[in-house]
Amino acid sequence: MSSDRETIFSAIRAALDPLPKRTAKPDWPTELVISNPSGTFDSLKAQFADRLAFASGRYYDSVPVLADFLKAEGSILGYCDPTLISLFEGIEGLEIDTDFDDSKINDYTFGITRATAGVAESGTIMLTDTDTSCRLGALAPWIHIAVLNEADIVPHFPAAIERFGDDPSIIFATGPSKTADVEGILIEGVHGPGIQIALVISK
Amino acid sequence: MSLLHTPPNRPAGKSIQLMSTCLCDAFYADVAQATVEVLEFLGCDIELPDGQTCCGQPAFNSGDWANSRKVVRHTAKVFAGDKPIVVPSGSCAAMIFHGAPLEFEKEADLPVIRALADRTWELLDFIVHGLGVTEWPGKFDAKITVHRSCHLRGTKSPEAMATLLDSIEGLQVEPIDETEQCCGFGGTFAVTFPNISNSMGTLKIEKLIACKPDIVAAADMGCMMHFGGMMEKQGLPQKRMHVAQILRDSLKNAGKI
Amino acid sequence: MKTKQQIDRTARDLDPEVHDSNFMGAKLKSERRYNTLFRDYDDPNKLREIAGNVKQHTLEHLDTYLEQAEESFKRNGAQVHYAIDDAAVNAQVLRIMNETGSQTMVKSKSMLTEEVHMLDYLEKNGKTVVETDLGEFILQIDGDHPSHIVTPIVHKNRRGIAKSFEREGLGDYNDDPETITRRARKHLRQKYIDAEVGLTGGNFVSAESGRIVLVTNEGNARFCMAANKIHIAVIGIEKLVPTDRDLGLFINLIGRSGTGQQVTVYNQFISGPKKDSQPHGPEQMHVIFVDNRRTEVLASDCREILRCIRCGACLNVCPIYRQSGGHAYRSVYPGPVGAVLSPLLAGNRFPELADLPKASSLCGACNEVCPVNIPIPDLLLRLRDKAKREGAKEAMKGTPNLGMWATLCSQPTMWKTALSMGHTMNYIPTEMIPHPSAKSWQGARKLPKFEGGEFRKWFKKRAK
Ligand code: SF4
Repeated sequence: MSSDRETIFSAIRAALDPLPKRTAKPDWPTELVISNPSGTFDSLKAQFADRLAFASGRYYDSVPVLADFLKAEGSILGYCDPTLISLFEGIEGLEIDTDFDDSKINDYTFGITRATAGVAESGTIMLTDTDTSCRLGALAPWIHIAVLNEADIVPHFPAAIERFGDDPSIIFATGPSKTADVEGILIEGVHGPGIQIALVISK
Repeated sequence: MSLLHTPPNRPAGKSIQLMSTCLCDAFYADVAQATVEVLEFLGCDIELPDGQTCCGQPAFNSGDWANSRKVVRHTAKVFAGDKPIVVPSGSCAAMIFHGAPLEFEKEADLPVIRALADRTWELLDFIVHGLGVTEWPGKFDAKITVHRSCHLRGTKSPEAMATLLDSIEGLQVEPIDETEQCCGFGGTFAVTFPNISNSMGTLKIEKLIACKPDIVAAADMGCMMHFGGMMEKQGLPQKRMHVAQILRDSLKNAGKI
Repeated sequence: MKTKQQIDRTARDLDPEVHDSNFMGAKLKSERRYNTLFRDYDDPNKLREIAGNVKQHTLEHLDTYLEQAEESFKRNGAQVHYAIDDAAVNAQVLRIMNETGSQTMVKSKSMLTEEVHMLDYLEKNGKTVVETDLGEFILQIDGDHPSHIVTPIVHKNRRGIAKSFEREGLGDYNDDPETITRRARKHLRQKYIDAEVGLTGGNFVSAESGRIVLVTNEGNARFCMAANKIHIAVIGIEKLVPTDRDLGLFINLIGRSGTGQQVTVYNQFISGPKKDSQPHGPEQMHVIFVDNRRTEVLASDCREILRCIRCGACLNVCPIYRQSGGHAYRSVYPGPVGAVLSPLLAGNRFPELADLPKASSLCGACNEVCPVNIPIPDLLLRLRDKAKREGAKEAMKGTPNLGMWATLCSQPTMWKTALSMGHTMNYIPTEMIPHPSAKSWQGARKLPKFEGGEFRKWFKKRAK
């Protein structure tokens, strides 16, 4: 409604016109928002792993070990981004679809999609619409596995924000979905994944 | 930055004006007396403007700014000059250096009030940051807890208080839980919201006496009147002292005055 | 104790169990906030100060940034709408639903939609709306309202929730929080799949890129943009920040301040419809910028309150909120932020809520924790002044008249005469003492011994 637009803009201008002076935009150094490191780490990967664990996420850098975890959890059926399926070549005992079948949304127990970046200071996984083969695959199953290239681990949030580009849907995910709505008691896995995994690979 | 940013570059000479506060005038004579003795020990020359009454805070906090301004204007007249004004009560000091300019924002005599604000100090802040005293040569054998009055928030007074108390020989200052919580005074708030005020006071007193101190100290007359009155009513044995009284008594104990 | 103020009465009469859960929830979050913020930063106050200035700058150039945001969204392929008030935003949403043939909406948490009673409106117009935030979902089935802006059902216990679930056919009575959560997961999962529209708010909006930031722990906002084809974002015009880079300040502050988390689980940055290559997600994005009296607040001397990022830290630390709970504030925004914002957003109903700014001891704890450093006590004081000038009855209830006192305080001779009545004061009723804070001092405290004029006498004597 264009009239509402005009009314709002003129109300804003009328409110601001009488101000004798206006606050300048503060210049702030990136270091300001970088949090104190929780320890000393010899690589971003090590820091990322530490912080991910702190956020109740799980870190893997071996596909067979990850596959064993899935099997131990009884997670057999899952979805995988077709460009990542080769990672699971030779793994027995898992049933993996590379085409997300909407009718199986409640049957998939894990989803494997690509992460665009990782944030070392917080153990955060950055997902984008560009790199996520399928939004529901990363969201609906109980376990989400984000495949993260080691070289894409950045030290802090400002560095991750610099990588936004023009992607329409970027998600910073730090650990599993959770709530404390009922009596402040922490429960993991509300709507999204109850288990958040990063599988870090080196190419 | 914070709520009670103290004015920068306040004058800090040893010739001062004392604002003894209405509560000391009416109820706590010894606190004002201790303040004088402490400041004189530090070599201050004290003027006590005779016409002083109240800082205007009760009306200011109630939203009755017209009446509050009347009192502040009076205060500005009485405290003419350019000497530092020292106040032994955090909220009264804050009323002058923060509250008064706020309620005069749209008044023609704002500059006069600003000038008054810009030379007003809370006592402990003045001793440490105005006079540069970082050690207190007193002696006081007691275990105490301290209520960090809310109006010291965002000022350098809490740090000044710690500096002084920590250096007193024999004095053991015990930390308390939830230092940031208010005692529930808030001026007329204590009267208009009696139930909440009372619950807040009860919680504060619990924290203050949890470690079984000999004395509970503070640097604000309002808080002391409120939680002190509650403690009295409850028949609690802990003595309440203003920090100025502790400073003065510690000097006496050490034979310095 | 007898009291004339509504908030004080609510606090007095509050169910002790509800009191305790409000109180403990708030205290815990305050402690976590402090621990996380001071562990992660040497000087968190610096961040608060700068974040506050970034917001203040944006507000003071809002016309420019709003125009820029509009352009950015359009460039990204989103549709931008404006709504002047509650009626306008509700009508816009209904129109979009109708034009897209949509019947069902899943929505994530948005205080603004509470403000304009959108849920009632859409339901009255035959639409199905499902709140998906667990707390909000429980409020919806109970016909209740949030009592806290971040933890909306902090006033409820598991037993009540279990009963509600049983009543709604979500399984037999079971009050285990994990079971409750799993049942909600299952129930809401189907709603996400069925809905055509996902509605969200927006915690921040970057004007430069036209990105909405949504901050959630549960992941429900992600689900409101996955299976459905339409996304509507309802956003107050005060949510803007200049650039993507500035978002770095806010995502680092909001979680730490509100719940004491290093970072909230999901931070989503949404700038338009899904990519073509993406099989799921909205094909249309509608952004509705809402005024609903925000421009009035901008014109007032309380405009700093528009910096608020709704983190809830001021509620958690507030000793009054801790005693009274959020419902005592009788409005969408409780606690210190609400005591400023709610009366302002009430427009000509200001007098009805004019007592809210009185519900504060002005202790300043709210200012000390606010991630955007809003001088809340100063704003409360300005509103008290406004209430007094406008003669708002709610505000004045129980407040002593200070006219006599002011006269006394401006006349030193009278003042000294009053003081020199000396010790006789100890024998007269407290009501007659000319100091308002000493007056009606109630049953809980003892008044100190009157020593009027003693100090002055001593001072004069020693000077001789
Ligand atoms: S006023 Fe400040 S502390 Fe309170 S909710 Fe808003 S941002 Fe948070």
